[in-house]
Amino acid sequence: MPNVFAVPVFFICFRECLETSIIVSVLLAFLKQTLEPEKDAVIRKKLVRQIWFGVGLGLFICLCICAGIIGAFYTAGRNAFDAAENVWEGVFALIASIIITVMGAALLRVSKLQDKWRVKISKVLEAESTPLPLKGRFKRWAEKYAMFLLPFITVLREGIEAVLFIAGVGLGLPATSFPLAVICGLGAGALVGYLIYKGGNRTSLQIFLVVSTCFLYLVAAGLFSKGVWSLEQNAWVKLAGEGVAEAGSGPGSYDIRQSVWHVNCCNPGENGDGGWGVFNSLFGWQNSATYGSVISYNLYWLVVIVGFAVLGYKERKGHWPLQKPRIVTEKAQSDTSSGQDQAVEKKHAGVASSAVREVPE
Amino acid sequence: MAISLSNFLFAICPLLSLISAGTVTHDFEVSWIYANPDGSQNRPVMGINGQWPIPTITATKGDRIIVNLKNSLGNESTSLHFHGLYMNGSTHMDGPIGVTQCEIPPGSSFTYNFTVNLIDQPGTYWYHSHQRGQYPDGLRAPLIVHDTDSPHKNLYDEEIVLSFSDWYHDLMNPLLAQFLSIANPSGAEPVPDSSLLNETRDLSVKVEPGKTYLVRMVNMGAFAAQYVWFEDHTMQIVEVDGIYTEPTDADMIYMTVAQRYSVLITTKNTSDANFAFVGSMDQDLFDTVPEGLNPNVTGWLVYNDANEKPAPKELQAFDPFDDYTLVPQDKEEIYDHVDQQITLDMKMDNLDDGENYAFFNDITYVAPKVPTLYTALSTGANATNPVIYGANTNQFILAENQVVEIVLNNDDPGKHPFHLHGHAFQVVYRSEEEAGFYDPNNHTAFPSTPMRRDTILVRPNGNIVLRFRSDNPGIWLFHCHIEWHVASGLIATIIESPLSLQSQLDGRIPANHLQACADAGTPTAGNAAGNTKDVFDLSGENTSPGTLPAGFEAKGIVALVFSCIAAFLGMAVISWYGLSEIKK
Repeated sequence: MPNVFAVPVFFICFRECLETSIIVSVLLAFLKQTLEPEKDAVIRKKLVRQIWFGVGLGLFICLCICAGIIGAFYTAGRNAFDAAENVWEGVFALIASIIITVMGAALLRVSKLQDKWRVKISKVLEAESTPLPLKGRFKRWAEKYAMFLLPFITVLREGIEAVLFIAGVGLGLPATSFPLAVICGLGAGALVGYLIYKGGNRTSLQIFLVVSTCFLYLVAAGLFSKGVWSLEQNAWVKLAGEGVAEAGSGPGSYDIRQSVWHVNCCNPGENGDGGWGVFNSLFGWQNSATYGSVISYNLYWLVVIVGFAVLGYKERKGHWPLQKPRIVTEKAQSDTSSGQDQAVEKKHAGVASSAVREVPE
Repeated sequence: MAISLSNFLFAICPLLSLISAGTVTHDFEVSWIYANPDGSQNRPVMGINGQWPIPTITATKGDRIIVNLKNSLGNESTSLHFHGLYMNGSTHMDGPIGVTQCEIPPGSSFTYNFTVNLIDQPGTYWYHSHQRGQYPDGLRAPLIVHDTDSPHKNLYDEEIVLSFSDWYHDLMNPLLAQFLSIANPSGAEPVPDSSLLNETRDLSVKVEPGKTYLVRMVNMGAFAAQYVWFEDHTMQIVEVDGIYTEPTDADMIYMTVAQRYSVLITTKNTSDANFAFVGSMDQDLFDTVPEGLNPNVTGWLVYNDANEKPAPKELQAFDPFDDYTLVPQDKEEIYDHVDQQITLDMKMDNLDDGENYAFFNDITYVAPKVPTLYTALSTGANATNPVIYGANTNQFILAENQVVEIVLNNDDPGKHPFHLHGHAFQVVYRSEEEAGFYDPNNHTAFPSTPMRRDTILVRPNGNIVLRFRSDNPGIWLFHCHIEWHVASGLIATIIESPLSLQSQLDGRIPANHLQACADAGTPTAGNAAGNTKDVFDLSGENTSPGTLPAGFEAKGIVALVFSCIAAFLGMAVISWYGLSEIKK
């Protein structure tokens, strides 16, 4: 299954598509509210068409960019990656894990995007009705086609973001694992976007988002662990050479000195064990766990826990945990946090804040 | 000196053989010298008396052979094993370290003194070091026992001795370190760099037209079996491993390491051309064949020095003679009643140090602290109890004068040449490849006069059945003769009639043998662990590393549980954060 369905790719598509569909839904809702169906039927139809045209064009350009990148990668770069497969898998798994981690926090606040965009759009449209003499031609044109430009730019932006993320995440994955994941991700994103548009139960939507985010972090934790595992495996293959592949999942396929557990079955890398491949994609399962893979998995969760605790603290109290008592020395305040924890918190807080930068307070 | 002496003996033996046997004495000082036998790498080799190749020992059956060995290597212990000789009544002269003697440390001396069995030990043998993996560094040479009563003596005019061997450019110690290493989990054996004929390459063998030669061939390599053929000349096999056979024609033979063949070759009647003969290493044995490896070594039957030595012709396929079909000249009938059966299931596997080992019945051989012979001699009536010989010696106690059957099941996809010390065995059955384990109720009929020899090939995932009579008290190893597998533990210890052994040898171990033990710091009494008080207390014995963990052990369970808790805690925090928005 990892060969047909790349879970990280699915989530990236899901997330970017969701954001896009929220904007489109806000725009459509906006038109629905502001224009009366009888009077402005013609203009409304025109504007709706503008929106969908923007979406379509944005999507098209994204697909072109995507195709270009994939084409370039699989024609030129593939061999270079094959030579050191484990290194690349390791590095890309780590990158993917970090990308998903950063995105995930934003996903939890995605329903707020609706409010954000409503404000933005109304500002743009208000500006249209109040003529200002200093406006240039371009501004006027932009206003006229706002209903085209907004979705177009949004789709383009989210799309390119998705393409870049997928490129980062997916370099280590086989090409066959992309299509299904992309289609499902886009479909799910659009579906949730539609639900938001329909204004369904906001609580159940939030629960849905929480569940899917939990899932997302499980994947990311697995990827993080797998990344470390792959780098270790690379070192082992370098040491033990040909024999490793020959050993399958038996003795010799792993470095006994690093082993925490090893079972001679359930190898996610082997074609026969498809189910374990799913297990590997979702939770980072390895039939041969190492100190590195286990510790990194737990460390990842520690960082996530601390990170969300800090974010939650900030949202409730309005400031970062270590920010408030500027007058008092930091040392006196940090009661439970060790020096390492501080570093982790700071790093994570920084990342998280950039991820939710657009969320209005 | 050795050769002239033995030639002398050979000449006078017909006169003396019934009256008195001769004595062949050699003073061997083993030391490192440099040699470059294949012309591509000068390397240290183990020479004797400053010479390499080391001398061939020749004797006549019934002779006493005395070898005074001095170890001047400086950095390695050594020993000598006289491969194929039954050592009747002199198992302490057999040579394997940790079995019938202590190592001979640098600076020590040791005397081998034994008689070649008068009745049934003529033929082609060889001698080599039996210190762990050592002989491929050069300490190996043929040992020829002449026979004035040979049934074939009228069939040939002259003798030629040919040794075949693989050759490494590196010393065995570093190669063994690579082989037995966590970095070699598959147990891939080091592949030879080239192969040698009489310890050189491009050998010319001068022959005369219209004559018949007895060509004695020995494979004294470390690893590679060799296909051997003489272009346009048919071989007539008359002896294998010291056992005369009914003359049998063969175009090509397959000679595993440690096997010997004597063949009659009749030369052409004219001298117009010279003919190539080839030893070709069986590359099936090699895990990966390195680029540029030349598996062949070529020699020439030179009729006329003036003529060219033609390059050997290319072959389409190897089609060697099947030695299982040979019939011994004495027509000894199959032992059809088996008193004692030994089943050995062999496999390769890894232990918890990550290294690849070889196993008989799930036990890999580790030499005991006390050489097994000394344990047998020093434990009185307890010597018949296998326990005292240790947990890792694969020991089997044989009663006297029994017909013993060894069933060997090769649970490994490799070819293995198995050798039994102290006996030649009847090969009553050998399966084809991939036949699996031996099934006594389902096999082709046994031959009525099975071939006997002392080294036999077992095919990949196949099996062999061997029989012999326990008429030779002693401590005899049964092992794969691939030196790599000796190092990785593919060894069983046959303890034959230990009580008879005690009456034979108790108190008769020569002082120089015991002195070598003292020099090496090896105990010479007690059980495998060196315990003389309570021979059933084996604490402190040498054992192999532990087995690989079967799956989840304590640390694995802890790790998995912790990871699960971490994941659930993490998701709980995410949910707390995600749902907190709603409460606002």
